[in-house]
Amino acid sequence: MRLFGRDDDRAALQPLRQIKLFSSLTARELKVVQALRHERQYLAGEIVFDEGDEGQAIYAVVEGEVEILRADGNRQQRLALLGSGEVFGELALLDQAPRAAQARAHSDCRLVVFFRADFMSLLETHPKIASKIALALARHLGGRLRQANAGARQEGHL
Amino acid sequence: MRRLQPSGAGPVAWCGILLATTLALYLFQHVLWLVLPFLFGLIAYYFLYPPMQRLMFAGFSQAAAANITVGVFALLLVVCFVLVLPWFAAHAVSVQDTGQRYLQGGLALLDDTLRALEARSRFMRDAHVADAVSSHIAAAGEGFAQERLPALMLGVAAWLPSFLLAPFLAYFFLRDGRRFQRFLARAVPNAFFERTLHLLYEVDRTTRAYFQGLIKLTVLDAACLAAGLWLIGLSSPLMLGLITAVLAWVPYVGSILGCAVVVMVAATDFPGSPSVAYAAVGLFVCVRLLDDFVFMPLTIGRSLKMHPLVTVLMIFVGGAVAGVAGLLLVLPVLGVVMVIGETVSIVAADPRLHARHAHARRLRLQSVTRDLG
Repeated sequence: MRLFGRDDDRAALQPLRQIKLFSSLTARELKVVQALRHERQYLAGEIVFDEGDEGQAIYAVVEGEVEILRADGNRQQRLALLGSGEVFGELALLDQAPRAAQARAHSDCRLVVFFRADFMSLLETHPKIASKIALALARHLGGRLRQANAGARQEGHL
Repeated sequence: MRRLQPSGAGPVAWCGILLATTLALYLFQHVLWLVLPFLFGLIAYYFLYPPMQRLMFAGFSQAAAANITVGVFALLLVVCFVLVLPWFAAHAVSVQDTGQRYLQGGLALLDDTLRALEARSRFMRDAHVADAVSSHIAAAGEGFAQERLPALMLGVAAWLPSFLLAPFLAYFFLRDGRRFQRFLARAVPNAFFERTLHLLYEVDRTTRAYFQGLIKLTVLDAACLAAGLWLIGLSSPLMLGLITAVLAWVPYVGSILGCAVVVMVAATDFPGSPSVAYAAVGLFVCVRLLDDFVFMPLTIGRSLKMHPLVTVLMIFVGGAVAGVAGLLLVLPVLGVVMVIGETVSIVAADPRLHARHAHARRLRLQSVTRDLG
């Protein structure tokens, strides 16, 4: 009997392969990342994090859907609905700023979580992997920025 | 919902932290056979962690890096043991004689110094301070040799097997530390997960910074003392510097003991010139000052981020509650309890987290009772 249970590599790597942030990693590199991940299960309606929380981790959806909400007066405005392979809370990897929106499970879902401290140690121990993730993160943030700009143009702000 | 971040631990939480530290020290005193190997295992873990990280940087997996690091370390220990054991067996008698000689040298210096003071001070001469101190030391030494020494030797012999635990603990900390962290995290409800995991990382960061700081401090102390003792002309300066630096792990008592060892060696190596022993005391005081005001803030001080008043107060409390073991353990235990206490008090005082947890429990109850009508 193994107290802390060794991971079944093939089964455990499968969910990581579909996450966009890790799409450029090789199987060997994914194994390194796999050792850092935490898995959590949420029921539909359960809050993952609140707007204003101190961000310490980045989340990726493995199964199910997560909605990103922002308070707009007494109502909550949905900013995005994220499915399998999508990441959220990514700014926590860059700084410890408060969360900009609330994340809530839209359906029963399974998430993988990576902590900022682990990403920082990855930068020291495996800079090649960390740089690949950082590049994917930069592309992801660039995409978000383009989306925001397009939205602002449509609304006539730019 | 945007909300304010909770502020740090308040006075009640801090009272709890100090109380929990005192209680932990009191309990640890009764299981020292386990606590001390655990402590040495942690020191070995943090000592071996940087080379293991370098191996991981070179592309090895965590398990392979841990195996190689601990394997090489164990091999080095075995080689040292094999080299030192025959020498020690051949020189056992002379080692004992040397110890006796240094003790006599130190006592002779003390006697000479007191008699020199008596020659200058009528008050001390009238009080026969030199004779009184000599007879007290002789009585204490005889009592120690007859009553305490056999029990102490038996105690050390009984403890040796438990110290063999230290390398095993270090190996499993290196290999499975992260897996254990994930194992613990699984027990935490979703609402508290991120905050609690942050706590685990902070505990790890604090203990790592403390023990790596301690190792750096020992190297700096040993190097400074060895250089100074070499300049004064004492024999085996590196060995003396290292012994003194390791003794300084125990606050106050260790430093005094280290100073006594250096003075004894100086008094024996140069019996006719007490100035060398005084120079050794001066060097020791200088290194301690350098240690307290320069090295310590640069190494350990930064890791614990504690107010100096709290540190000094808790060192006294640790000594009173658990003796020498308390002095040795008080700072790392306080550092860990402080991080846990601060985070727990913040989590416990956050009504939103409790509300989220209650909400999640309701959802789970609904999901498992949906078909029960």
